[in-house]
Amino acid sequence: MVESSNNPRDKKLRATGYMLKPLWVTLRTMVRVSLPGHRPRTIMYPWEKSIIPDCFRGRPGIILDKCIACQKCVKVCPTTCIKMVQIEHETLGKVKRPEVNVGRCMMCGNCAEVCPTNAMIVTPEFELASYTRDDLIYDPIKLQHPWKAGYEINYEEQLPSNMKGPAAKKGSMELKDTVCLEAKKCISCSRCEKTCPTGAVKMTDTGEVNEKTKKPIKRPVFDDTKCVSCEMCVDVCPKDCLTMKEAQ
Amino acid sequence: MVETTLFSLLHGLALWIGEVAQWLIKVTGIKEIQFIGDWAVTGGPVNFLTILLVCAIFMVAALLVGITCIWQERKVLGRIMDRRGTQVGMLGLFQNFADAIKTLLKELIIPRDADKKLFMWSVTGLIGSSVLLLGLVPWSTRFFVANPELTLLIGLAVFSLAPFFIMIGGWASNNKYSMIGAMRGAAQLIAYEIPILMVVLSIIIMTGSLNFNVIVAFQQTHMWLMFPLFIGFITFFVCGIAESERVPFDLPEAEAELVEGWQTEYGSIQWGLIMMADYLRAYVVSALITVLFLGGWDGPTFLWPEVWYLIKVFFVFFIMIWVRSATVRIRTDQLLKIGWKRLLPLSVVNLGIAVVMKAMGWF
Ligand code: SF4
Ligand code: SF4
Ligand code: SF4
Repeated sequence: MVESSNNPRDKKLRATGYMLKPLWVTLRTMVRVSLPGHRPRTIMYPWEKSIIPDCFRGRPGIILDKCIACQKCVKVCPTTCIKMVQIEHETLGKVKRPEVNVGRCMMCGNCAEVCPTNAMIVTPEFELASYTRDDLIYDPIKLQHPWKAGYEINYEEQLPSNMKGPAAKKGSMELKDTVCLEAKKCISCSRCEKTCPTGAVKMTDTGEVNEKTKKPIKRPVFDDTKCVSCEMCVDVCPKDCLTMKEAQ
Repeated sequence: MVETTLFSLLHGLALWIGEVAQWLIKVTGIKEIQFIGDWAVTGGPVNFLTILLVCAIFMVAALLVGITCIWQERKVLGRIMDRRGTQVGMLGLFQNFADAIKTLLKELIIPRDADKKLFMWSVTGLIGSSVLLLGLVPWSTRFFVANPELTLLIGLAVFSLAPFFIMIGGWASNNKYSMIGAMRGAAQLIAYEIPILMVVLSIIIMTGSLNFNVIVAFQQTHMWLMFPLFIGFITFFVCGIAESERVPFDLPEAEAELVEGWQTEYGSIQWGLIMMADYLRAYVVSALITVLFLGGWDGPTFLWPEVWYLIKVFFVFFIMIWVRSATVRIRTDQLLKIGWKRLLPLSVVNLGIAVVMKAMGWF
């Protein structure tokens, strides 16, 4: 009985498997591809480009009038390459819009995924070489890109009202976050109302009256149908009385 | 009619240049320097000029052939892998020149702890010995640089200088990868030199000469030595691939394990020259196989003998490329095993066959 061994040192170099078969395969390939009418598989890159699949994620792009300046993209970006900058726009006026440092961007598409209004999209652009690093910082105007079906990354959002069964009660991960107010700390500054990009916050009378100033106390009320969970109010609140909670 | 050789052709040119110089000096009318003009047409200067011209022309031609070998390799490998290969210029012929310019423009870096003089000079020695080899193989009886009696011996002596320069270069880099690569290179080159010498010995026995012209003339009158000495031909071919450090015997480089082997620390034009030397050596091996086994410039007369020679060289080089594309790099122990246990006995058998054939008077 011949003992077989797994030690590579015991394996012999056999002429057929090691030399003759590879030689035959390469010769056959060479003759086949040298015959007229055969086109090598090389893509002549600068002149012809490979076909980009539909789900290709190139540099991020933006549709300026869809953006609500909620800064979710700024927060979610893993490489922190998005910054909000002020721009002067013909129809929109003075607004804040994201600026992307494409040199640092890793084309993960998280910003497009998180954007509540699909203003941030992934584009099929991948030829991003430039002569200076500054050229790689795309301001909102340069970042614009015409929308086409498939450029935005959407995940199915499930509203609590659509949910059935035990998942609806537990509050699953697919539910969006809503703001939760700690009423005792609130000083009625109404900053959250002013910052909210979607107008989901409204200061309403509680009926109580401040004993010192004799003014009615107002508290924010959040309209969950309008809220896009951007956490702008949480950031801006001077008293840290707002937190994000999973919707019940 | 005496056959016009490159030498006699250029001798006329040199003589003419001397005469022009003599006439120019006469035109000046200064009596004191007339003797320079007279000296310019005497044997010494004319011969010297002729030799310079011959060397220049032959070297340019041989270097162009070496460069064409690189181009051929890239194109054939491209075909085998179903891609296009080089693209620059007509049929991609100018890619090599573009690459040369690119390597020239890189910065030349010498490691701080390296032995600087040896580091630089080993490359010079390697490329120098490789270029010297180019001049030793004649293209035909009329296109050659020099034709000493012992060409084959000189050629093999120069060929075996490489391990020395590789060791020096690897040691001077002061880098363990370079050192390991250099030791592997030296082990490989020394192991494969011996079968080569044995095979060459059998050829010497068969033809009774160390001169390429005589060897080729012998093959013209009898038969190509490839047929009687087939075992030797195969052995020489395998050893030749190993000697020029080509796949599957590219252990000294072994870029997967050893970064780049003994050339790790070399950059810029030094690296370019080393690569160039590699290909020149591969070309010389092809030329040696052509001259020793395939009848050299022997062939039907409708083409020049030089053309036959080049066709055969390119064909041998094509087979080397083909082998390269089909095989994987072997391990050190396999390499040494093949060298000492297979090729050496085979070359001895081949030597025995040659001796028997000569003794029986068949050749
Ligand atoms: S997440 Fe969308 S809407 Fe919000 S700031 Fe970014 S791009 Fe604008
Ligand atoms: S694609 Fe990813 S890395 Fe690039 S800007 Fe968007 S979130 Fe940041
Ligand atoms: S920002 Fe904070 S403190 Fe100000 S009104 Fe909103 S919740 Fe109250």
